[in-house]
This record gives sequence, structure tokens and C-alpha cells, in this order.
Amino acid sequence: MGKPAVLLIGNITHVKKEWEECRSFAELKTFNGKTREEFLKACEDGSYSDVVAINRSNESTALTGPFDQELVSKLPQSVKYICHNGAGYDNIDVPACTSRDIQVSHTPQAVNAATADIAIFLLLGALRRIHVPYTAIRASNWRGPSPQLGYDPQAKLLGVIGMGGIGREVAARARAFGMKIQYYNRSRLSPELEQGAKYVSFEELIKSSDVISLNCSLTKETTGLIGKKEFAAMKKGVIIVNTARGKLIDEQALVDALESGKVFSAGLDVYEEEPKVNEGLLNNPNVVLLPHVGTSTWETQKNMELLVLENLETAVRKGSLVTQVPEQVSKVKL
Amino acid sequence: MTPPIALVVGPIFFEDAKWQALAPEVTLKEYRKGTREEFISLLKSGTFDGAEAIFRSNESTAVTGPFTEEIVSVLPSTVKYICHSGAGYDNIDVEACTKRGIQVSNTPHCNEDAVADLTIYLMIGALRQITRPNNALRAGKWRGTIVPGHDPQGKILGILGMGGIGSGVAKRAEAFGMKIQYHNRHPLPSTSTTHPSATYVSFDELLSTSDVISLNLALSHGTEHILGAPEFAQMKKGVVIVNTARGGLIDEEAMIRALDEGKVFSVGLDVFENEPHVDARLLGSEKVVISPHIGAATVETMAAMERLVIENIKSALFDGKLLTQVHEQLVKS
Repeated sequence: MGKPAVLLIGNITHVKKEWEECRSFAELKTFNGKTREEFLKACEDGSYSDVVAINRSNESTALTGPFDQELVSKLPQSVKYICHNGAGYDNIDVPACTSRDIQVSHTPQAVNAATADIAIFLLLGALRRIHVPYTAIRASNWRGPSPQLGYDPQAKLLGVIGMGGIGREVAARARAFGMKIQYYNRSRLSPELEQGAKYVSFEELIKSSDVISLNCSLTKETTGLIGKKEFAAMKKGVIIVNTARGKLIDEQALVDALESGKVFSAGLDVYEEEPKVNEGLLNNPNVVLLPHVGTSTWETQKNMELLVLENLETAVRKGSLVTQVPEQVSKVKL
Repeated sequence: MTPPIALVVGPIFFEDAKWQALAPEVTLKEYRKGTREEFISLLKSGTFDGAEAIFRSNESTAVTGPFTEEIVSVLPSTVKYICHSGAGYDNIDVEACTKRGIQVSNTPHCNEDAVADLTIYLMIGALRQITRPNNALRAGKWRGTIVPGHDPQGKILGILGMGGIGSGVAKRAEAFGMKIQYHNRHPLPSTSTTHPSATYVSFDELLSTSDVISLNLALSHGTEHILGAPEFAQMKKGVVIVNTARGGLIDEEAMIRALDEGKVFSVGLDVFENEPHVDARLLGSEKVVISPHIGAATVETMAAMERLVIENIKSALFDGKLLTQVHEQLVKS
């Protein structure tokens, strides 16, 4: 009997050599098409009947569309593992995978530092409304016609929503800037992990924070977590930072809150309908906007790709994953 | 005894109430808006005679121009103190003041946090070559053709000038997982608790081993173009440079060449050799993250500087000494 096959959807950029080395335990296949239809056809026509594990690269959703119920149900019977490149995996229907006995891994930890770096970059930029002087100097206008002063992070209260790996890295950096930290999490952390941060209710965090950083995952429960009601309860002049998922925030409500001055500025790396960005944000000079570049560094991208390969190897050789998605870890009993 | 007279030149943004509260123990005069010509004319006609202390700022330069010899020479003979709001005071001719027996104070420490914050902002931006995706998104192109950047984690940050601002940069950079080395006029005492993990190195070693170099030293005759072509040649390929100190510290031509050649991966700049004019090649470059000298431009920092000026004025008028007299006058006296 031949080796099991591993299917790559998308590209390997940083670990081509290591990917080739996977031939020691698996046959390597690649989806070379560009559309969902082509992918589904290949699943159905037997091309992938020996595929045990899928290397789902970062950009694969652009090729196949999300791994929703429909697609998951059409994966070959042989598929037992989906090894996803990305800490967020809201474009995979995990319950559908679990029902089919398919285990899913993602790439936590590897993304933490880089995402936190961008969160702090956006936080500092938002405090300064930095796009305004940036635009002025680039237009050879130095500081522009009516330069504004920004604000210091020192002694301000940062509210972290989601004190997981990324949230804690954000808090550690913010502390070095003299910020006070409070957090909301599904459950309270141990003192070692809290590092002095105060555990508060969601409502308390919303109404008392000077800066709010979203660092939680997107689920059915957290979709639209921050909307009109929450903006109304926030402090006047609050700053919002989102490096998690765009759908956590009602984008139009954010635009309205910016226009009313309730929100002083926002630093965003993610949007509700990426790559589309609400016009009200694009045209607002007071916000700092980046196109989902949280993990866009050579070092982090390489580490993420390596972690996917690690998961693939452990899956094929040992029948388990290194970084299985948390909801399956509690459910799946092997 | 008649109250001493204090004169404010230019705007006070946040602490006007504290200035007003100096009265009636101090008689307050002001020249908040106007022109250099008018100010000089009023000085010459005796309008401000009797003033002992002057509150001025970097922002007042937009009203009266710099306090060069031209202005200093026509200040009333009663003027003993110029209390300046700003860490940098290159718009005051200190030598002319010293010759006239006028003592000058600045606000040296107030801006440390704000400038350190901006240094880190520019550093992360430069490591990420963030200008490219920032521009692409605003132009409706989402990511455009971005190139991955670099993480600060595990990289060596070389701080040139481990003073108050440099220490603040070091503290923040450590939280990003960077290793810190520095070069200073003098190494910090080994008992310093500020940065037990920061290593003192020679200038040459800082140049040749740092992944990121941050300039946090003062501009003086000895430090002009401290980074020039020979220094860029010594640096690691792919180095990132951050400058929030003074533009004159870097030979901009040499830096631009090093950027073009790829020797320097990217730069983060808040200051420029010929401010407010900025070289077009820097303005148009996507490897450059720039801001128009806004290091200390925050509400809290400006307010703190203004409060320190007022404290200097009180101390000068009632205790006969400044609190934060400028360095070069302390060395002389």
C-alpha cells in the first residue's frame, strides 16, 4: 500500500524545502485550480481519494471559498485532517468537520507576537491620529494647516477583550508604555497569566476603558460584539483597536461613532467584508487603517507554515494534531 | 516691593489658568500673537521694560521667529530669565543670552515618554515597511503588492544615546522581545537599574551588529552627521534606522543612497536635515515611514512642558534660580 497523500491548497512560500521533505511520510499533491467548482470536481472525480490530510494555506479561501458545510461534505472519505494556516479559522465549519470525523488544526502562538506588534502600532497611531500628519508631510505640507495634538498612552486604561495568547502579548507591550490593563475573557486567568491586569465584566470594560483592543476569536456569539449599544456606553474620546476579525464590530456603527466624535480614533487591521472597506472609514483621516497585515513578516509567516507542516506530520505519523482547534479538543475523545 | 514682571510670548495651550494664577504676586504681560517686526518694535519702544522673566516656546517661533541675537540684544535690560517650553531650544541663541546675563531654561524630561512612543511606532512601521500597505489600502487597492516585513522579536536594537528618551525606547523595545545594546558618551553605571539587560558597546560595534539603530542623542558640533557614508558602510545589510532626535545627525544623501542599494531595509523618521522641507525621494519612498516632527505633540506632554515653564518662572523670580537651566549654561557657570 502506498503512502497516504497530503493535499496542498494554495502556495508554500517560506518552507518549500521542508514541504518537499514531507515526501518522507506522504505523497504530495497540489490543487492547481483557481475556483471552488474545480476543487469540488477534483474531490468528486477521485483525484484526491488517497488524501488523508489537507494543507490549507492562508490564501486558500480565495481559491476554494470557505470550508463550509457544503464543501466539507464533498471532501473525499479519506480526508481525516485539515491543517489550516491561520490562527483564526472562522472560514472552516468545524462542527461539520467534527461530524465527519475530520480533525482541524490552526496556527496559534506563532501569530501572537506579530499580531500584538501591529495592535500596538495601531494603538499608538490612533492616539496620535497619525494619518493626518502623515498625509500632510507626504503632500509636502509639513504638519498641515491645522495640526492637532495627539494623546499619550501613559496612565490610560486599556481594555483587552479576549485575554488569550495575543491579548496577553498586547497587554505586556502596553504595560511598557505605562498603560493600565483590564480585560474581559470567558473565564478569569491565573495571576501568573494576568500579570496584574484586572478582570472585569464586559459592560465595565466597555464603559471605563480609554482604549479597547479586540483580541478574541470570531464565533456566532461574538459576531457584532461591538455595536451601537456598546458605542453608546463607551467613554467619549475612546480609541478602538481591532486586529482580530472585522465582523466583531458593526462597521457602520463605528463609522457613526467616529463621525459623532464619540470615538476619537480607531486602528484597524481587519474589516467586516475584507477586502472591501466601509467608505466611511476609507475617507476618514482620523483613523489608522491596514489591510490585514497582522502576521505579515518573513519570520512569522515561516513559523506559521512550519507549524502547519508539523501538524501534518504528526497527523500522518501519529494520528493526532499538535495545535488542534480548541472546540474539538474538548469534544473529540480518542 | 513691586511685583516682578513676567512676559509670555506666543501661545499657552493648556496651562493658561496656572499662568494667570501667578498674579498678583507677579505682574503679567503678554505678546501672544503678532509678527517679529512688531515684537521687535514694541521691545525697542519700551513696552515690555521691567520684564524679568519671559515664557516662550517652540510654538512662539511661529509668532516672533527665533530668539536670535537680533531679538536677544533688544530685550529689556531687566530680563534675567528666558523660560522655554520645549526640550530642543536651537531657536534660542544661548550664547547671546549668556553674554547678556540672561539664564535660559528648557523642559528636558517632559517629552521623554512621547518621543519614545513615537520611536517605537516608527520602528514597527519601518520593520513592516508599512507605508506600502497603508498607501495601497487608502488607494482602494487592499494590500497592493506588499512584501512581508520583519518581526522585532530577537533582533538587536542599538540605541545611540541612552539618556532619558533612549532609556524609554529600551524599556518599550524589550517588551517586543528585542535585545538592547547602546552607545553613550559614558556607559551607565553598572548599578543602574534602568536596564540591567542593556549592553554598552563601542560605536563601531553598535554600527556593525545592530539590526535596528535608534538615534536618541542631542545634536551638537560633535554629532553632526554621526551617521554618514562610512557608518552606513559598516552597518548590517538590511538594517533599519529610526531617528526621532534631530535631522542633522544623519547625512540624508548617504542614507538615501543606502536605502536605494538595499543596505538599509527601511527608515522611520520624525526629523529632517532641512525641516520643514523634506527631500522628495524620502517623501515618495515606500521604504520610509515619516512624520513631521511630532515626537512631543501630545496634549499631556505639552501641558507638562507648560507647567514646568511656569515652575521655572516661579523658582527664578522667587528663589533666584531656574529648575531646568540649559546644559551649556550650567557647564559654564
